[in-house]
Amino acid sequence: MNPIEVRTDAFAWRSAVSILLFIALWEIAARIQVTPVILLPPFSIVAAQLWYSTLDGTLAADLSLSLARAFCGLMLATVGGVVLGLLMARNRTIEWLVDPLVALGFPSPKIAFIPIFILWFGIESLSKILLVTFACVFPIIIGTYSAARAVSRQFVWSAVSLGSSRSGVFFHVILPACYPRIFTTFRIAVPVGLITTFTAEMVAGGGGMGATLIYSQRFFESPTVFAYIVVMLAVGLAVDAAMRRFQSRFLRWAEE
Amino acid sequence: MTKPDQFMFAARRGLVRVAPLILFGLIWHTICTAGVVNKDFLPAPGAVAAALADLFKGGEITKNLTITLFRAAVGLILGAACGIWIGVMMARSRHFREYVTPIVGGTYSLPKSALIPLFALWFGIGNITSIAAVFLACLLPMIVNTYHGVVTTPKVLVWSAEALGTGERELWPRIFIRNALPDIFTGLRIALGFSFVLAISAEMIASTNGIGKLIFMYGENGAYDYMFAAIACMVIVAFLADRALVILTKRLLVWHESAAAELEARRP
Repeated sequence: MNPIEVRTDAFAWRSAVSILLFIALWEIAARIQVTPVILLPPFSIVAAQLWYSTLDGTLAADLSLSLARAFCGLMLATVGGVVLGLLMARNRTIEWLVDPLVALGFPSPKIAFIPIFILWFGIESLSKILLVTFACVFPIIIGTYSAARAVSRQFVWSAVSLGSSRSGVFFHVILPACYPRIFTTFRIAVPVGLITTFTAEMVAGGGGMGATLIYSQRFFESPTVFAYIVVMLAVGLAVDAAMRRFQSRFLRWAEE
Repeated sequence: MTKPDQFMFAARRGLVRVAPLILFGLIWHTICTAGVVNKDFLPAPGAVAAALADLFKGGEITKNLTITLFRAAVGLILGAACGIWIGVMMARSRHFREYVTPIVGGTYSLPKSALIPLFALWFGIGNITSIAAVFLACLLPMIVNTYHGVVTTPKVLVWSAEALGTGERELWPRIFIRNALPDIFTGLRIALGFSFVLAISAEMIASTNGIGKLIFMYGENGAYDYMFAAIACMVIVAFLADRALVILTKRLLVWHESAAAELEARRP
């Protein structure tokens, strides 16, 4: 449910004006020094800093480390969440056992658990990956569970009456019927995963985008702070756009 | 059913639901007492409970929790108010929407915690940084959900109201906003979750007090039973706040036929 909607020429034109206006205002405000340069460096200097960071490879190293952590965490969460969600939908004992834990875990602020993860899994990548898994697994469990529960009985009965086995029903009817909803919850989980990775790096260090961001802030290297925030914004946008494209291409058969 | 019967039924259902948590606690306890793991790595539930009681007695929890909840609440209320306003404006005016959409769309997928170092640079360490981060995180889901709720108002409702003589000014509070209420509450539930996450993150990164700082401080000092106690306290508070909002939503939206179903279905 993104606010982006039907694009017309006028719309694209006004959007471009809006963004350019924002950058121009930023540049002017910084150049006439509304605030000290250290608090608001001009856009041109931030862009230059972005260029230097790209050239000397620090940005690529930080970005790939962060994205790798987010990706691993998300994959673990997706596999674990889908398996648990399906098991909960198929088995009443597991449902009884897991449901209260999910109900308690879903609304809890997962970032509060980061000291526990550092304590158990160290300061390097493993603690961050597992924290991302922990943060993303609950929405995926809930999404898969409700998707599997909502599979039309008629599909199941038809498959059974046509001679499908139990596992056949599961792999050829229930699982495919869940794909669109699983993907929708995955789309919700991805930003959560990115946010958790960046925040965990900021809090605990250990390299990556968040760690560099917080070090730059501590040494008052404002251009780097702004450049990294711009990159994070771009990453968020690019990932969301990619997922939207994937959804419209491969899951077109599912009605929203 | 008579009253006592209903009570027994509800009590038994509650017990069945809580039983796995008790089981989980027992397993945790057994692991600790059997010495499978180092006691420093995983304090026993009894030790955590004792630490929690101690924290309450000493006032650390109440003091820092009040600070955190204050920051989360102020950011949430400001974010919700501005978000609803911007969402309504986007639905009302095409030009406003066209200028605002790229900025909303761009910041929607920005990890808001990335801005905490920036806010710390601008506003220093303390309340304003935390509140600003919470505000921004709560603002966007409120804008998007309010806008969606207003835009999806069925034309039939608007036409009926107009046919019955409702003026343009009255149409907004009576039809559009009311139709958007379920969506606004969905947004509020998302924003509530964000408000806790951002308040705690901001405190861990740039603050001298608050429950996030408390958790982090105990972790660094190696007082792990206290750290677990503070985290448990935060989990319970977040759970209760979420429940309270869901119950409030169901109460306020009883007139809306799909309210309850919608809330369940929208649970991501």
